[in-house]
Amino acid sequence: MSSKPVTKPSNWKKSFADKLLQILGTDGVISSPDEIIAYECDGLTGYRVRPICVVLPKSAKEVSEVIKLCDNENIPFVPRGAGTGLSGGALPTEDGIVISLSRMNRILEIDIPNQRIVVEPGVVNLWVTNAVSSSGYYYAPDPSSQLVCTIGGNVAENSGGVHCLKYGVTTNHVLGLEVVLPDGEIVEVGGKTLDHPGYDLLGLFVGSEGLLGIVTKVTLRILRKPESIKTILAAFEKVEDAGASVSGITAKGIIPAGMEIMDNLSIRAVEEAVQAGYPVEAGAILLVELDGPSAEVEAQTPLVIEVFKENWAKEVRVAKDDDERTLFWKGRKSAFAAMGRVSPDYYVQDGVIPRTKLAKVLGEIGKLSTKYGLRVANVFHAGDGNLHPLILYDSSKSGQLEKAEELAGEILKVCVDEGGSITGEHGVGFDKKQFMPLMFSEEDLDTMYLIRCAFDYKGLCNPGKVFPTPRTCVEVGRTSYREHPIEKSGLGERF
Amino acid sequence: MMKDPLEEIINIVGKDHILSLPTQLEHYSVDGKKPNLTVFPKTTEEISEIMKVASTAHLAITPRGGGTKIGFGRVPDKVDVIVCTARLNRILEHEASDLIATVECGVSLKKFQAELQEKNQFLAIDPPHVELGATVGGIIATNDSGPKRLKFGTMRESLIGIKVVRPDGSIVKGGAKVVKNVAGYDLPKLYVGSLGTLGIIVEGTFRLYPIPEASKTYLATFPNLEIFQETVLSILNSSIVPTCLEVLNPNLIGAISNKLNLDLKKQKYALAVRIESLEKAVSDQISKVKQISDEKNGEGLLLEGDIEESLWQEIREFPWRISCDNRTVCKASILITDVPGVFQAAEELCKKSGLKTYISGRAGNGVLIFAIEVERPFDYAQGSPQEEMLAVVDVIKSLRALVSSLKGTLVIQDAPISIKSQVDAWGDLGTSHKVMEKLKNLFDPYHILNPGRFI
Ligand SMILES: Cc1cc2nc3c(=O)[nH]c(=O)nc-3n(C[C@H](O)[C@H](O)[C@H](O)COP(=O)(O)OP(=O)(O)OC[C@H]3O[C@@H](n4cnc5c(N)ncnc54)[C@H](O)[C@@H]3O)c2cc1C
Repeated sequence: MSSKPVTKPSNWKKSFADKLLQILGTDGVISSPDEIIAYECDGLTGYRVRPICVVLPKSAKEVSEVIKLCDNENIPFVPRGAGTGLSGGALPTEDGIVISLSRMNRILEIDIPNQRIVVEPGVVNLWVTNAVSSSGYYYAPDPSSQLVCTIGGNVAENSGGVHCLKYGVTTNHVLGLEVVLPDGEIVEVGGKTLDHPGYDLLGLFVGSEGLLGIVTKVTLRILRKPESIKTILAAFEKVEDAGASVSGITAKGIIPAGMEIMDNLSIRAVEEAVQAGYPVEAGAILLVELDGPSAEVEAQTPLVIEVFKENWAKEVRVAKDDDERTLFWKGRKSAFAAMGRVSPDYYVQDGVIPRTKLAKVLGEIGKLSTKYGLRVANVFHAGDGNLHPLILYDSSKSGQLEKAEELAGEILKVCVDEGGSITGEHGVGFDKKQFMPLMFSEEDLDTMYLIRCAFDYKGLCNPGKVFPTPRTCVEVGRTSYREHPIEKSGLGERF
Repeated sequence: MMKDPLEEIINIVGKDHILSLPTQLEHYSVDGKKPNLTVFPKTTEEISEIMKVASTAHLAITPRGGGTKIGFGRVPDKVDVIVCTARLNRILEHEASDLIATVECGVSLKKFQAELQEKNQFLAIDPPHVELGATVGGIIATNDSGPKRLKFGTMRESLIGIKVVRPDGSIVKGGAKVVKNVAGYDLPKLYVGSLGTLGIIVEGTFRLYPIPEASKTYLATFPNLEIFQETVLSILNSSIVPTCLEVLNPNLIGAISNKLNLDLKKQKYALAVRIESLEKAVSDQISKVKQISDEKNGEGLLLEGDIEESLWQEIREFPWRISCDNRTVCKASILITDVPGVFQAAEELCKKSGLKTYISGRAGNGVLIFAIEVERPFDYAQGSPQEEMLAVVDVIKSLRALVSSLKGTLVIQDAPISIKSQVDAWGDLGTSHKVMEKLKNLFDPYHILNPGRFI
């Protein structure tokens, strides 16, 4: 941190940790090296940084006191949920602390008639659905990591899931937040009701990757469980035909809950790992899940099957019961882990393309794979164009990790060239900040930085993430001024 | 010698695309404040040049789309130049197989929907003022919405990419042209509902939906609000997935039913439930709605085709058909379970003061729109109109107090100046208002955009 006074005494870390102890007590501060190791990285395991210490506050008030102390002493802080993030968002900063929200994990209020639930940020995604399931409700965003990842992390990353085609991502389900701002002030944004007047800070906060403050309470929308669910699996010789089926289905006026494509390499890996019964010879499979009122699902099913047939499907299976449905999904949901069977290491990429460009982009990825001599398996949230190429490599062979990273970067360039995005759900974090200029101009990025400045003028909250080049608010603020002629002539000053 | 900034702006857009005669400018007044110039730029670059001049000279700019919601917000502090987006009216891209389209923000929603309809798609938003030429940019800036928000949300859900001109003239974009994207802050959300105070929106990219095969509406009337609310909760807690679920007070349904010749009993509350899906699925769900309604002794009508469209159009447009000198339109956002209480309070308060009110409510969202009509126009203040005006102010204040106690919010969407000068259009912005002010100061340090109207 450039703002850190050079005159800090040599034992400043120890004395800072002592002040934290006073706020949180001994069980609220982790500073022993063996215990800190677990917090040195998140799901982006290639990078590790040791923080001064990790704090485990239990309330917004404690978070606020910790942050005020950081603000006073210019110590950067990094919020952390379960640490499953894949872009290094929770990567600590040296000379900074990690604020883990894992002990703030209570469900505070369940309000079924108003379709709301209020939780603390450390609550695990799946707990939310579990808490309202007996009343016939559920929480829609369902990242594959939902057994572990926290709502706070979901809010920060604007996480998606396999059902977000129809129901939207986290931002469409978060209605209110309590936030501790980077100066320690506790504020509310949004609430249980809709349309709070003023700027949509809620919309800004969701997906802000922990750079605007720390979320300490979240109000979510819960949905009535659909009456009926039907999962259909279709196998194709060519990925193109699976892609064309996706557009064919929406052209019939149907928006399924989810549509997922897997290519041959993924199918084989998954079969080896979990025996989901996928046809291993297929060039691609497409999983379509329809949900809603029974009459609707019944009416949609034959239409979807018709589309498959029109696109030369080799095989179509409709899950007969819940068990078979679960099996169909098991394959898809374990796709990442299954790669461990066919390769010692893999890197998960996350890019988005207009879904009509699928065939073209997969062709390009194939070429890159040949060029780099690394295999790439593809799983794809086909409905919304979110591609997850899994790049297989062997870290014990020198240079392969670097090659894999380079290949991953090339894939992002292809996505952006086709009009897409460098990330659909895993975030920019530390991992992808250098790719931001592919999508955004200097002025676009300055505009985003202005937003950061409104929340965090000093830049202490999760620094070194998202933005490709370090900036300060003074620099960026200057760009939005246009000198008045009087000012220019030296006759008057601003404000 | 400094150049006259207005001359500079005229040079940017060309003499053929301005209005500067006082008689012409009258029509462009905002809450009675007449601009010195109205301009119709054709390109984003022209808008950028205009903004550079305006921020150097500290001219107050009011962006304007179709002008249908120019009354939103507080009375502005100052209005120097109106920047109309009417000539930024191109549909730039409609990629039907991707269900995505990009338009310039001066395009009217009506034109946009007509174009999309050719490919059997639509933008899932149904705000009022569509016939009067509401533009896409104006709808984004006000986050205006309609009954379909129950299923589809508002602009917040539909807008995925945006291009804006910031007050310093820089042209910036946010979001992307794909549905799923988390790269950088969600700039589209910041601009939705920003009421032209952070920049001029010049382009939007939207996610679209296929037009459903069939649509039907069941319109039922109920003797009182309790039974009505039981029905609403039963529907929400059932397997039925309505597109709209709207409650109407007796005044409103009475007026609409007269106009459309509907065969309905007078003086009752009405519930309109719209189902859209495949033909068979619609019939099946409608019969379930009817069953629930019958159990509660509702008396109902099944509407489809033109008459169904007309009903929904009336629900959206009715409050705005009252002459603007006679109307005050407010929006209350509350919990679903608080709908009957607030509904009743609004009716009783108005009745007590001898004011007529028309209320429609998004029963599944907890959003109520109420239009208060006075007999004599406001702002020709002499004797009794003054009394009526005070009565309206009192009603708004009492309702706002009630709504706030329920942790909801109440904003004035449109009202004559005499009302807006006595009761704040927005009310309490809550504990995060300081961050909003900081955002405004950083984006627009000289407050040239819509000063005073919002943040
Ligand atoms: C096997 C696997 C599968 C996955 N599948 C998906 C998927 O399907 N969809 C998807 O979207 N993602 C997926 N992810 C990514 C990841 O799970 C999500 O990004 C998740 O939301 C992260 O939650 P977390 O609690 O682990 O957050 P962390 O990783 O701890 O943190 C993520 C970010 O949030 C910030 N943060 C955490 N808590 C707070 C808070 N209270 N206030 C402010 N900022 C905070 C952190 O600073 C960091 O920037 C997957 C990851 C794995 C390992």
